[in-house]
Amino acid sequence: MIKTDLKEYAELLGGYSELRLHENRNTNVMLMNGNLVGNENSSSGGLSARVYKNGAWGFASSPGAELDTAKKVMAAASRNADFLDSRLKKGLPPLPAMAAHGIYDLSTKKPRRSQKELVDFISEIDGYIASKYKGLKGRRVLIKNLDMEKAFLNSYGSSFYSVTPRSVLMVFLFAEKDGAVVDHWEDVSSVGHFEDVFTEPSALFNWVDGVYERLMQKVSGIYPEAGHKECILDASLAGILAHEAVGHTTEADLVLGGSVAGALMGKPVASSMVNLTDFAHTAFGKPCHIPIYVDDEGVEAKDAVIIKDGVLTSYMHNRESAVHYGAAPTGNARASEFSDEPIIRMRNTAILPGTDRLEDMVASVDDGYYLAGWTNGQADATSEFTFGVKSGYEIKNGKFARSLRGATVSGVAFDLLKTVTMLSSEMNWSALGMCGKKQSIPAAMGGPAVKCVMNIGGR
Amino acid sequence: MSDKNTALFCLESLKKAGADKAQCVLVNTEKNELNVDADKISLMRTSYNTNIRFTAIKDGRRGSSSLNGFLKPDIERVAASAVENAKASPADPAYDIAPRQPAKVFDNKIVTPDLDAMYDRLSTLLAQARVKYPLLKLSQAILNFNRRMEYFLNSNGVDFTSNSGYYDAFVFFLSQDGKKTSSFNYSMYTARDMKKEIIDTVSIDTLFRQSAEQLNTRPLEGKFEGEIIVTPVCLINFLQFITTMAIRDASLISGSSVYKDKLGKQIASQAFTLRSKPVSDEIVDGYYVTPDGFEAENTTIIEKGVLKTFLLSLYGANKTGLPRVSNTAGCDVIEPGDKTLEELAAPIKKGLLVARVSGNNPTEGGDFSGVAKNSYYIENGKILYPVSETMISCNIPKMFMDIKGISRERVHFGNSVYPWISFGGVTVSGK
Repeated sequence: MIKTDLKEYAELLGGYSELRLHENRNTNVMLMNGNLVGNENSSSGGLSARVYKNGAWGFASSPGAELDTAKKVMAAASRNADFLDSRLKKGLPPLPAMAAHGIYDLSTKKPRRSQKELVDFISEIDGYIASKYKGLKGRRVLIKNLDMEKAFLNSYGSSFYSVTPRSVLMVFLFAEKDGAVVDHWEDVSSVGHFEDVFTEPSALFNWVDGVYERLMQKVSGIYPEAGHKECILDASLAGILAHEAVGHTTEADLVLGGSVAGALMGKPVASSMVNLTDFAHTAFGKPCHIPIYVDDEGVEAKDAVIIKDGVLTSYMHNRESAVHYGAAPTGNARASEFSDEPIIRMRNTAILPGTDRLEDMVASVDDGYYLAGWTNGQADATSEFTFGVKSGYEIKNGKFARSLRGATVSGVAFDLLKTVTMLSSEMNWSALGMCGKKQSIPAAMGGPAVKCVMNIGGR
Repeated sequence: MSDKNTALFCLESLKKAGADKAQCVLVNTEKNELNVDADKISLMRTSYNTNIRFTAIKDGRRGSSSLNGFLKPDIERVAASAVENAKASPADPAYDIAPRQPAKVFDNKIVTPDLDAMYDRLSTLLAQARVKYPLLKLSQAILNFNRRMEYFLNSNGVDFTSNSGYYDAFVFFLSQDGKKTSSFNYSMYTARDMKKEIIDTVSIDTLFRQSAEQLNTRPLEGKFEGEIIVTPVCLINFLQFITTMAIRDASLISGSSVYKDKLGKQIASQAFTLRSKPVSDEIVDGYYVTPDGFEAENTTIIEKGVLKTFLLSLYGANKTGLPRVSNTAGCDVIEPGDKTLEELAAPIKKGLLVARVSGNNPTEGGDFSGVAKNSYYIENGKILYPVSETMISCNIPKMFMDIKGISRERVHFGNSVYPWISFGGVTVSGK
């Protein structure tokens, strides 16, 4: 638990400057074939200061939370801003003043589980797998929990305190077929402390059975044929498409850096049924996995409606990019570690659901694929993307046929989105993602099932 | 309290909390950083940190914890938590810490950043790029000076102090011409000083030139099996399947490694030799001590295609009964070949010069597929034009067994030294 209020340091602030006290706490527990290979908790935190001077930023950070640390980092950040300002001489005016406040503590009210209880929790799951599925080549079960705790104050009067926990449990299973190892993994992840997300290990046994079943389908599966095919993307793939292929190209700092979306504002970039939003904290009346109410520049966070009815309508902004584009800030500035400056980051990015039933979507495909789950994803400034796909099925004459062992898919997002013809009414969110743009930070993504045309990488 | 005394206090705190075997690593870092965003120098950063990592073994059980900071009550609390974590663990005879070795102080004697030189190198890069490559957009550049002091102590008497400093640079760029945008590309390196202009380092000038060419890409039609030449900056995408996955603890303990029975056997063409040289002059930002507490040594991982060592930690070695590696890998140096880039391309009927890949994580078996980015089509020995929407699929173990040639020229990235390598048996598929 850190200080919840930095007002005692207010006299250190001037011009545009900010102080952030920030601590990340990680818990990692991992069993590999029953061997405990990860058993650690760690914390990393301290104070950072950022100072704006005529268009130049100075930043400094140090462990500690007391006045002497605040003075040290503020002095170093000011020196750095002076160093750059004296050389760059940009002469830009002050950033617009706007303030926001709040306390957003999502900590559990339940008693916290000890490290031993966490080890026992995954040991029970591991034991279940080991006893029930003896033919497996290998197995891994792990817990990765992250608490982000922040207290913030800036010279424009913004202040907030937040605790945002995230809990992740993953199961990896390995089988062998004809001398080749086939793997499959799935996760259960959510905003919230472990105690609020998970109950008893036995409550996950059905899910574990499903992971095994999907592994066995991959073992007997085929690799898809290379080429352009009609596809149904499951909700998790729609989410990574929203995040990687569209989201990054519409972050205003990357637009300034040359993204293709710079020339597309106000233009059709997708089928008219496609809507895509980066939600700040609440979507469809429910709290999001990455709830941001006030961002790390002290700006009230608002939804960024990126695509509305197929037309590109907004970028995601921080204070500075909003001034550049004459837009309202969207509160997308976030910092990952105490030693990181806030940069434009996605929060909860999703393609919005449509009105179709998944059964009807599958039935509408004569020769294509149903693609499920992602392993990783990368995208380009051109909106060209590549995703690893975990599993799926052939679709022949409107029905699932053979299962897939995995695939790599690629395309140009702003082309692919124009081929979208159906969107399911159901959508899913994932809280597993760690976005790696300069700093690694949790990001949520979601979407419905999407029918579109996609390039499949075969063998 | 000095840093060394703080480290000693950490070790004592672990013992006092009940650890039978104790290890602590205290790392003090200072980073000075300059950023370019969208063609403009934007931010200057100074970061200080003290990180302490505790490992405790009690009754054959192991636990770890870490914190950043140096206050005594925090140290005592987190040391005790490492011991508590150990109690939560099942006993495993493979848990251990390094044996006593002679105490040593290592120092590369690079202590102070030259901030003016850092600023000058970045502003010169921006000016040179503007004049020479007017379509280039330097989306981001980061120039750091990193200072690191590490104290590694354990209850067997290990006592290592390492002081090091180095610069690192990262450039991330694309080209724009009206509404046309090229694929982004990037490069990075580490250096002992800031004497050399950034554009003259690690092929950055060539990559800037190619970026403008890549505004006009052409898709490939159809699918073929051919050869690819992988550039030095891209090689890590394939090599890391071996060095960070297949011959490491996780794959070998779980038995899923394709190389599990290959120690002393051929896993690559005879032309391929890979060394890990963390304590070599060829490497700028190496390391002196392994994460297990052993003094690091240079080692040969693959010699003339033969796998000479797995990259097992102390735990992995104890668990599998196989030998521990004498460092923790990285700091790769690949021996040069005898060909020019033109000679590598000459025998290729149809193939690609692959400068970046955007792809899936390889499977445990080494199957990989991804999009070839910033890459060029090769036909009848000539490197012709940049391609778009072109995927490559391969099996990485088979690729390394099918090396067609290695270049004489290598690129020194500071943390690795890589040549261009030509591989056969890769499936290339276009639209």
